[in-house]
Amino acid sequence: MGGVASVGERLAPVVEMHQRPTIEKSSTAVADKVVIQNLDHHFGNGLHAVSDFSLTIEPGEFVSIVGPSGCGKTTVLNLLAGLFPVRSGTISIFGSSPRAGRHDVAYMLARDSLFPWLTAAQNAEFGAEIRRMDRQSRKSRAQRLLEAVGLKGFADSYPKALSHGMRQRVALARTFCLESQLLLMDEPFGALDAQTKLQLEQVLLSLWTDERRTVVFITHDLSEAIALSDRVIVMSARPGRIIDDIRIDLPRPRSISALQKSADYHKLYSLVWTKLEMGLNHE
Amino acid sequence: MSDIATTRYRLAENTIIAISRLVFLAVFFGIWEYVSQNHIINPIFIGTPSEIVKFLWNGLFVEFTLERDLLWTIVSTFLAFAIGSAAGILTSLVFITWPAVEKFSDPLLSALNALPRIALAPLFLLWFGLGIWSKVALGASLTYFIVLSSAVAGIRGTNSDHLTLARTMGASQRQTFVRITLPNAVPTIFSGLRLGLIYALLGVIAGEIIAAQYGLGQQLSFLAGSFQISGVFAVLAILALLGTSLLWAMNKIESRLLRWQ
Repeated sequence: MGGVASVGERLAPVVEMHQRPTIEKSSTAVADKVVIQNLDHHFGNGLHAVSDFSLTIEPGEFVSIVGPSGCGKTTVLNLLAGLFPVRSGTISIFGSSPRAGRHDVAYMLARDSLFPWLTAAQNAEFGAEIRRMDRQSRKSRAQRLLEAVGLKGFADSYPKALSHGMRQRVALARTFCLESQLLLMDEPFGALDAQTKLQLEQVLLSLWTDERRTVVFITHDLSEAIALSDRVIVMSARPGRIIDDIRIDLPRPRSISALQKSADYHKLYSLVWTKLEMGLNHE
Repeated sequence: MSDIATTRYRLAENTIIAISRLVFLAVFFGIWEYVSQNHIINPIFIGTPSEIVKFLWNGLFVEFTLERDLLWTIVSTFLAFAIGSAAGILTSLVFITWPAVEKFSDPLLSALNALPRIALAPLFLLWFGLGIWSKVALGASLTYFIVLSSAVAGIRGTNSDHLTLARTMGASQRQTFVRITLPNAVPTIFSGLRLGLIYALLGVIAGEIIAAQYGLGQQLSFLAGSFQISGVFAVLAILALLGTSLLWAMNKIESRLLRWQ
């Protein structure tokens, strides 16, 4: 990823990277896609987590994976993140195999996992600092992202002084502060109350709209998945297989609160729900 | 408005508590003085408050002997604390870096730790002499194990989410240790250090009581041996004050260092 050298004060480099495939638009664009083929995963204790999982994610696409708890969706994400080795099948991220710590991938957990000894601003720039982004640009980037997530004026607060929702906002800022083309998110809003969740979904949407990075988003919340995504992948109970791949053609930019009242949205909801039910009854 | 009212209420409450404490102490010392003066209990056993004050005055401002002993004890305690805690933290780093070393030495260390350390005093006296170093060795041997176990616990207690995050960010081992493991361990290490400091004082005083040239412990044993009970109480008062100020200083440093908690 030679783009790191040209990182300026603006968020531009990432956007540029994703405009390339629209120009070429050929089958050689594997280098911009995330391709999972025939993934199958047994854990050491014999647990069969994922079965025959194939998925191709286009650059700049927001893809959610939903399914009953324990269906192996987090396993897929952790395999993408390179947290454990792929045993059967292949994963290609922008043309190379997954590895924890590669700079074109950023990972966000369900818990905010902020460092309590760092202020909001220091937390927001932490990943960028680890990846040796230069001081000036990471500072201004972190500051801008904190403003974007609605935490202007809280830059010097320690996590203990922030509410649950605010802490997760900082975690969002930290994730976006990394200039990674692929964002892996493991139920990032799972622990929030309904109201805060809607607010943060909107924040995530606006951040994503600015830069159009590829997102793989794990959730068990169908309404969240539909509101955010371009595609929703429905998985069955363990061993997790793909039941359906549903395109969400709701127009963008979307307003999370307006969607709650949209008929198209509810139609999609019942469609996804039906698929999910099929997966549950199948076992 | 209500804020001012509550602060006022707090202030009044605190004043009342302070006054009641003073009254309690005055009554306590008054009864003590009375009981002792009238030989209701023999002053040989309980001393006399007025004698205690006299002893403190003489020792501190006339003969200056207590300062010398106090200084002796403080220097020994600091040396014991510094050596013991530095060794404890170094050992913990060795354990974290090479777990095999920990596995190997665990039973040996457990046995040493279970041994009542004061029992080593005669040996230390023989090895390090009557001077300051036998006390330092005793104090340090107490501090060492406390700081070691807290440092190991602190370093091991790193949040697994933080480690996962560090891995996905591509943090090197060094970065992970310096930026995550270490700051995360500081609170636990600090509570070990605080306890270690008190135990350093304990070890030094015990060593001085057993055999020494100077020091508050030596003074204590001499005064008790010659039935100067008021003097013993005076030294105990100084020791209580010393222990309290050490803890106070430690808490100050801690709250500065751990503002984020």
